[in-house]
Amino acid sequence: MSNYVILSQSAHKQTKVITERSEKYGDNIKYAATFPLEFRNIQACYPIFFSKSSDTGEFFPIALLGFEDAENLFLNESGWDATYIPMMVERHPFLIGYQVSSEAEEGKKPVVSIDMDNPRVNEDAGEALFEENAQPSEFLKYIMAKLESLHQGHEHSKGFISALTALDLLEPFTLEITLDNGSNNQLLGFYTINEEKLMQLDGDALAGLNTNGYLQPIYMAVASYARIRALIDKKNARLQ
Amino acid sequence: MSNSVNRIVIVGGGTAGWLSAGIIAAEHYSAENSVSEGFQLCLVESPDIPTIGVGEGTWPSMRTTLQKMGISETEFFRECSVSFKQGTQFHGWTIGGEDSYAHPFTLPHKYSENNLAAHWQSVRDQVKFADAVCPQSRLFNNKLAPKNIATPEYACNVNYGYHLDAGKFADFLRKHCVEKLGVVHISANMTAVNSADNGDIASITTDSHGAIEGDLFIDCSGSRSLLLGEYYGIPLVSKSHCLFNNCALAAQVPYQDPEDPIQSCTLSTAQSAGWIWDIGLPSRRGIGHTYSSDHNTEDGARTELLNYIATTAGEQAAADASIRKITFDPGHRAKFWHRNCVAIGMSSGFIEPLEASALVLVELSATMIAEQLPANRQIMDLVAKRFNNKFLYRWDRIIDFLKLHYVLTQRRDSEYWIDNCAASSIPDSLQELLDIWRYQAPWHRDTNHIDEMFPSASFQYVLYGMDFCTQTNPTRRRSDRETAKVAMALFRENAKRTEQLMTSLPTNRELINKIYKYGFQKI
Repeated sequence: MSNYVILSQSAHKQTKVITERSEKYGDNIKYAATFPLEFRNIQACYPIFFSKSSDTGEFFPIALLGFEDAENLFLNESGWDATYIPMMVERHPFLIGYQVSSEAEEGKKPVVSIDMDNPRVNEDAGEALFEENAQPSEFLKYIMAKLESLHQGHEHSKGFISALTALDLLEPFTLEITLDNGSNNQLLGFYTINEEKLMQLDGDALAGLNTNGYLQPIYMAVASYARIRALIDKKNARLQ
Repeated sequence: MSNSVNRIVIVGGGTAGWLSAGIIAAEHYSAENSVSEGFQLCLVESPDIPTIGVGEGTWPSMRTTLQKMGISETEFFRECSVSFKQGTQFHGWTIGGEDSYAHPFTLPHKYSENNLAAHWQSVRDQVKFADAVCPQSRLFNNKLAPKNIATPEYACNVNYGYHLDAGKFADFLRKHCVEKLGVVHISANMTAVNSADNGDIASITTDSHGAIEGDLFIDCSGSRSLLLGEYYGIPLVSKSHCLFNNCALAAQVPYQDPEDPIQSCTLSTAQSAGWIWDIGLPSRRGIGHTYSSDHNTEDGARTELLNYIATTAGEQAAADASIRKITFDPGHRAKFWHRNCVAIGMSSGFIEPLEASALVLVELSATMIAEQLPANRQIMDLVAKRFNNKFLYRWDRIIDFLKLHYVLTQRRDSEYWIDNCAASSIPDSLQELLDIWRYQAPWHRDTNHIDEMFPSASFQYVLYGMDFCTQTNPTRRRSDRETAKVAMALFRENAKRTEQLMTSLPTNRELINKIYKYGFQKI
């Protein structure tokens, strides 16, 4: 279970966070949530698909990391073998939340929280959050910047998803994979861009997508399918 | 008068009128003033006559019906106070005590190939029939929803229909029909019916829109049956000798807490001379008592209804209840399509809502009209003949099936239940089935048509829910050992699937709140 508390210098001056990537810190995930503003980096490493939240039924983009539950094919003894790690993975054990200010001028004020029950959190190893002089460490500044981008990325992603569903651009798909050992496997439950419908969009629809910054990530997602081959290769390599 | 059938006039709004309009207009391209292009559908609705608003329960078929009309299921939930209906739970029908059985919408597990009824006989003392063969009875008795928020619209984890607010539903359909499907809405009172030389209806005269001509008139005027009954004099065939209920007392009852659980099935509780329906909408419950005026007084029926409300919703709710009385002659018209006039809804007949047959008959009637819309006046008589045959057959099956619920009772505590078991009140067609079922469980062979309203599984749920005994085969079959093995495996599979659904499905209320907030996805 998680135990998020608001991050503060007074409460967390001794706190350190382990940044190593490993199964024991929960990095053995089949996919990671992502958002269009990081698609450029994601598509360089991972296939981008869409999944549905079991809690709300809403779509969200994901970077596919493996084919089975708890299988991250990028994870090995020396860590996470890729040039880019999805921000939703990197953020752990932090969370950006919003405090409703009493004056209600700006409405909501961003607040960083930390999950004190996350195994990365301790007082001995890893990156300190605060310097001796009580100033935020370089690590914390880096994380804060990431969280800020995450928040913006998330807001942008909502509009992106609305546009995709309004234009019926998503479709369910099944990926059938035959591995080198002869086993047939199916990847179910994900959604992809319907390229046929994408090609049929008229100028107005395309202009609308482009104006909102949605057109480029759509094509990045389409291009990312080429990464499936690399993922299958990784899977085959593990079977040897 | 033009020979082709292009102009359809529906007389009467309400759910029957607007549902018919939507079904027909979804099949045929129509637009205002499009007669030149071939087809026009207009609906004349009196601004002065309130709709009766019967039929708050639907069959699963309504999902396909709405989807074909291009309606968003999310919008439908948000606009019509809709909740999920997964079947009916019958209380007190068998012995008049704590006895209870379920009739779920989902067929028994792997029903297309396996008849589990025979194998259930050997374990009947340990597990109820519905629980043994299908997960749904346990789901709805725990007020769970039939799907998740991530399940696409109209798709399901287990089969479902709806409970809805009939008044809101008619308004919702009207808006959709007019704005999206090109149905012409005329708000006017019909003052006269004008005959053509051949005896057809040429037009109707209205108080504010003059005469409205048409090639086909659909009578959705409710129990008054203005065109088929009053104008053409097609008589009502009473079924009161078989199904006694001819009155209903209806009330709307608020939840004690707005977030109280919502039933995921219709509750039907037997009374001394009738039964009480209890339908949970998100905003309120619809509770009513349908009874036989030959067996109970209005005061007696009212007291039973108020007792039920007091027990299930509190004394205050009973004290506040405003009760509306509806009387009806159970039965149907001798035929439904006469000349160029066809009746849909209460104008064609009405019977107690025991299996929510009202709206599904509207769907079936309008669908047949939409699909077989006569190309011209000459062929209309043949289409009418086929329509009449089909719907007379359907009415007979409905009556048989409703009567089945009564003849299996062991209650002898009132004249009503005793009279219901009198041989003279049981149709021959039903009696024959009952005789057969003593020796063999209902199965696909028992139904004559591919588009039968009640599959043999429905008979199984009622029969074995009400403790009916089918004797096992007197001779041993060569396949016995194998089928018994398969049946036991299917019972186990069903138990496993039930547990899995019990832990993964949200409650009816939770899912409806999520639909309000997030909506369903189309895929």
